[in-house]
Amino acid sequence: MAQIQVGDTLPSVSLKYCPYDPELKDACGIPQTLKTDSFKGKKVVIFGVPGAFTPTCNNSHLPEYHQKYQDLVNKGVDQVVCISTADAFVMDAWGKWTNVGDKVIMAADGNGDFVKATGLVQDLTKAGMGAIRSKRFAMVVEDMKVIYIGVETQPGVSVSGAGAVLAKI
Amino acid sequence: MTIKVGDTLPSVTLKHCPYDPALEHACGLPQNLDISSFRGKKVIIFGVPGAFTPTCNNQHVPEFYAKYNEFKARGIDEIICLSTTDAFVMDAWGKWTHTNDKIIFAADGNAEFVHATGLVLDLTVAGMGANRSQRFALVADDLVVKYIGVETNGSIVTVSGADAVLAAL
Repeated sequence: MAQIQVGDTLPSVSLKYCPYDPELKDACGIPQTLKTDSFKGKKVVIFGVPGAFTPTCNNSHLPEYHQKYQDLVNKGVDQVVCISTADAFVMDAWGKWTNVGDKVIMAADGNGDFVKATGLVQDLTKAGMGAIRSKRFAMVVEDMKVIYIGVETQPGVSVSGAGAVLAKI
Repeated sequence: MTIKVGDTLPSVTLKHCPYDPALEHACGLPQNLDISSFRGKKVIIFGVPGAFTPTCNNQHVPEFYAKYNEFKARGIDEIICLSTTDAFVMDAWGKWTHTNDKIIFAADGNAEFVHATGLVLDLTVAGMGANRSQRFALVADDLVVKYIGVETNGSIVTVSGADAVLAAL
């Protein structure tokens, strides 16, 4: 599938997530469905990471979004969603590990449906991480239309980072 | 064809992050863990469908950890927990459960081990992809399988649990 571009409509995909519950310290109980259709009428930042708990994702990419959450909200963003092809249990645990609370929705594209539909899949078999991973990216969608997309072509966080997104919205 | 008693373990390379009590955060660089390194040793390998999932997290792993000394007394050299997630997630999970000082958290990230042993489980309907591990436990002595128990209901721990393995040693 060709990579999604500015002006395209976000595909209709079901993700999974564990709704934030401050009482629940341990493993998430039952993941819930999060449909991309629920972003209709909203301004949403979706950033994708190759792997939960991996150094760049854990130490740079996710924390920046957490820190800049209020700045994003001030510019009209309704939701910040972190996506990877891990399952909802892993995403939930990662959210707890990094203390994002209710600020970042940790969404699971466990079957790779979203990354395949948007042309953002990368094969990390060589790294022992399987063939269906997400590229590192960030996109901004407004009422399901992509208004910004930045996809990293090398290691590190630049066009997919919170700073780059803030500069564009 | 599922691996059975008397079979030899397949020659597969897993990944893991060696235990380092000083390292509290994300694992730096996963290392290879060759199945062939179990030559001449008596090892338990137990497989879980998913890290951070309720049964795996609250029951399966803790039981093996609690009975570690009993296993050692019966000649077991290593206990390995395996799933098809990557080494970063497995490492984080080992830290989360506070069991990674005794259990080796191994990643079968490309699902090679589970495919080679016939222990693969398709969890696409649960949004968890097609290449998961069944819930199992096996004992291998010098790479030859001496015991194997595979759950038919993945949500419970019976033949794949620490008690069942102890009784078989």
